[in-house]
This record gives sequence, structure tokens and C-alpha cells, in this order.
Amino acid sequence: MAGMAVNTKTQSSAPPARAQAASEAPVRMFGVSKSYLPGSWALRDVSLEVARGDFVFLTGASGAGKTTLLKLLFAAERPNAGQILVLGRNIARLRGGAVPALRRRVGVVFQDFKLLSRRSVEENVAITLDVAGFSRRATRSRVFNTLRQVGLHEHRHRQPLALSGGEQQRIAIARALVGEPDVLLADEPTGNLDPELSLDIIELMMAAADRGTAVIVATHDLSLIERFDRRVLRLEDGRVIERSRGPGAGA
Amino acid sequence: MNRRVEMAAVLLRASGENLRETGLTGGIAVATIATALFMLGAFALVVVNMEGLLDAFGRELQVTAYLEEGLSAAEAEELAARVETVEGVDFVERVGKAEALERFRAMAGGGALLDGLEGNPLPASLGIVLRAEQRTPEGMAILQSSLDGLPGIDELAHGQEWVDGYARLAALLRVVGYALGFVLSLATLLIVANTIRLGLYARRDEVEIMEWVGASRLFVRTPFLVEGFVQGALGGSIAALLLFVAFGLAVPELRYGLAFFLGNAAPRFFDAGELVRMIVGGAVLGVGGAGLALVGSRS
Repeated sequence: MAGMAVNTKTQSSAPPARAQAASEAPVRMFGVSKSYLPGSWALRDVSLEVARGDFVFLTGASGAGKTTLLKLLFAAERPNAGQILVLGRNIARLRGGAVPALRRRVGVVFQDFKLLSRRSVEENVAITLDVAGFSRRATRSRVFNTLRQVGLHEHRHRQPLALSGGEQQRIAIARALVGEPDVLLADEPTGNLDPELSLDIIELMMAAADRGTAVIVATHDLSLIERFDRRVLRLEDGRVIERSRGPGAGA
Repeated sequence: MNRRVEMAAVLLRASGENLRETGLTGGIAVATIATALFMLGAFALVVVNMEGLLDAFGRELQVTAYLEEGLSAAEAEELAARVETVEGVDFVERVGKAEALERFRAMAGGGALLDGLEGNPLPASLGIVLRAEQRTPEGMAILQSSLDGLPGIDELAHGQEWVDGYARLAALLRVVGYALGFVLSLATLLIVANTIRLGLYARRDEVEIMEWVGASRLFVRTPFLVEGFVQGALGGSIAALLLFVAFGLAVPELRYGLAFFLGNAAPRFFDAGELVRMIVGGAVLGVGGAGLALVGSRS
């Protein structure tokens, strides 16, 4: 297993449950199956462990189960069989109020960015902290710092649609990272971007992994995977058919 | 604690944005609530005034016993004394023939109508006032049977039948008011629910994103409930204001019609407590409609 990276995130304010979970991998799946229709499986018997600071590519053709796997990890779907532990919480047993609490520690990035076009860049990123009840001042400074990380702090008052596709995806990444999540999930984050911008985006998420976040990026873009020396999980018809590492041109 | 205050501030901001963005549909919801509450309020005003008058009737209700012609003053005096001993009677007022004519003349406005009269056609009478607890149909019946057959009394007259009819009308209006209130409230509730649902639909992307980044159900829902509350309270306030204006304009215009229903009693407007209840009622309708919209769009 690759990269049990040192967790560089501050744990001083962590509650006991979090501290206890710190020693465990934040993402663990054991024999997970998911079916949307009787007789057809979106995921079959998938096991997976992603440690803190780990960066994993999830790949496979469309319909291989990548999106389903990510949805299970942020509790948008429930498994039909198997166990999923995210940050020590059993996804199958999460009750209503526990789902939002979990999601505040899991950042998600989508292919189509899912930004609010009528809100400014800053407001789009701030929404993560708003729902967590951060003060306005704390929100402003954290949003500013995160936007600086992704190189967009000078555009913070603009509307997302005034920016390029790559910049919009960086807003989405900033929104996912601003809450300092323990886990970052990205579903085809570069699907709408040209190759140069794609590298940018992946590097931003690798930087998050370097800071201790467990990162899973689903992509069908093999040329992208080949440029990095990172763990790769290949899915086909809902099964993991290959576990390998990218040849690593750029890591 | 501080977190909660911050959360409340964030929610308040979000609610404000919700309200700003509802625009026309929000205006329609407010207008609907205002219209429904205006109609209900107008109806309630009529019922309240009629019931107020009933109370006044109750207080003033007196029985008049007309005396036979030719009864001497001493006999009338004796009769009055006997009537005062009847169960439930508070006091008895003697009205002589001359006094009756005088009162009639005053009521008729001192016109020439009575000038041609030869003699005084009006009988002497006893005005019998019952004790408050006795001013009921039962009390009236007891009095009636006690006075029956007393020599010197020609006829008993009282407004009980009229009062009973009036009370039945007021009660009927109250029932109609409840039914009307129910139907209007239901219609308003559905309209508000639809308005909020439109808002929810317009903001579904935002709601979806908020859920992904970990917004609690309360966090997502509160702005919509606040929106319903504000729309309702605003609708209620507008209805109260319109009623006040309409009342001020209509009462002088309708004074003859009102005199028929209310007699000499001055029509009254809602007091502060009743107005507050109206506004709170609007707010409840608004929150209820929002709740309905949120329950209906769980998915």
C-alpha cells in the first residue's frame, strides 16, 4: 500500500472520536456491492483502503462504477452489501443528522463544477463554511487563503461564468478544500478541461494529499494517470480488476 | 453558543437572500395572504360587532308591562311594589301616561305628528329590569308566569324574540365565518406552498450543493420557513391596514344599513390584540405553507 503520508493537519482541536480515527485510514471499504436495479450490479465486492495523504486514481470506462463508488463514500447512496467506513463512520448505518456532519469533512468535486452562477467566486467557496457555522470574519480569511492556494484570490469578486473552465474547476476545488476536509473525492474533475488545465487541477489535489487529505480522483483519462506516480484502481463492470501505480512521469 | 449566533446570522443572511430572490412570486404569495385575511377580517368585524351588540342588548333588556286603562296612581304604585317582589326582578320603573307621551314625543323628534291627537292614547307601564343572571329565556319565562293573572296588567312586551333571532343570525354568521376561514386558509396555504416550492425549485442547485457540503436539513429549510413567515406576517399586516382604511371609508357610507344591524351602537374596529392575532395568523399560514412545500419536496 502506498504512501501512509505524515498527517500534517493540526489535530489539536480534534474531538476524541476524531483522534481515535486518526490512526485508521479515513476511507475503508470491505466487500461492497451496490445495485440500482435487480440483477445488475453497479459495484461488486469492492474493497479499498485509502490512508491519510494518499492519492488514488479510480479509472475505468463509463459505467464501470466510478461515480457509484464516490457516491457511496459521501453517503449519497447506501451499499446493498459490505461495509464502508469513512472517517470511522459506517455509511450504511448513518442516520439523517450524521450525514451532513460527515460531509463537512469530505470535500467533493464534480466534472461540471456545480457552481452557483449568480454568486461571486468568494460566495461559492464560502458556502462550505456557511453551512458549518463559521463566523463571517473567519470565513473571509479562510476563503481568501484557499483562493490564493488555487490562484484565484484576485478574481474573488467576479462571477464564475466570467472565468475559464479551468478556473471554474479551481473554484470548485477551493470550495471542496476550504473546510480542510479529511477526504477529497473528485468525479472526472478534468472531464471538461483541456490537457494543460487538467494537469493543474490534478496537481492542486495532490497538494491537498500532501497536506494529509485522503484523495480519490475518478477519471477515464489514462493519459493523465500515466503522468503521475500514484496508486491506480481500475474498475470494470463494478469490479476492481487491477491495482497498480502510474508510471509516474510527473510526481 | 458563539457558533449558534454565527449560524443564526448566516441563516438570517440566507433568508434575506431568499426573500430578495423570490420577487414576483413572493409578492403574489403576500397578496394572496393579504386578500384572504382581509376577507376573513371583514367577516369577523361584522360578527364581532353583532356579538358586541348582543351583549349590550343583554345588559339593557327590560320587560315592559302595559297597565290597564283607568288604573289609579295608587293602584299602579301597589302593582309596582308587588312586581318588585317577583323572583329575579332587580327594580321596577313606573312610567305614567303623560310621561309615556312625553317620551314618545321626544323619540319622534317633537314633530307635528302628535299635535292633532285628542287625549293621550298611550298606556301607563312598568319597566321591569331583571337581575343580570336572570336575563335569559328561562328567567323571562319565570317572570312571565309570575305576572300572568296579576290584576291591572294588560300586556307584557319584551324584545326577547328579536334578541333570540339576532343571536341566531350572529351564530350563523360565526359558523359561516369559520367555514369561510377554513376554506380561505386552505387555499392560502396551498398557494403559499406552491410559491415556496417554486422558490425551492429555482434554488435546487444551491440546495443540492449545500447538502453536498454538509448543510443540515435545518440549515437548508430555515430560509424557506423564514420566507413563509415573513410573507405571512407581511400579508397579515397589509390585510390589517386595508381593513382599517376600508372600515374608515365604509362606516360613514353605510351608517343607515349599519343602524339597521347595530341600532345606535357605534361599530367598532379590531383592538390591538385582535390585530396582532391577525398578523400572527398570516405568519402561521406562511410558515405552514412553507412547511407543506418542504414536506412535499423531500426528494
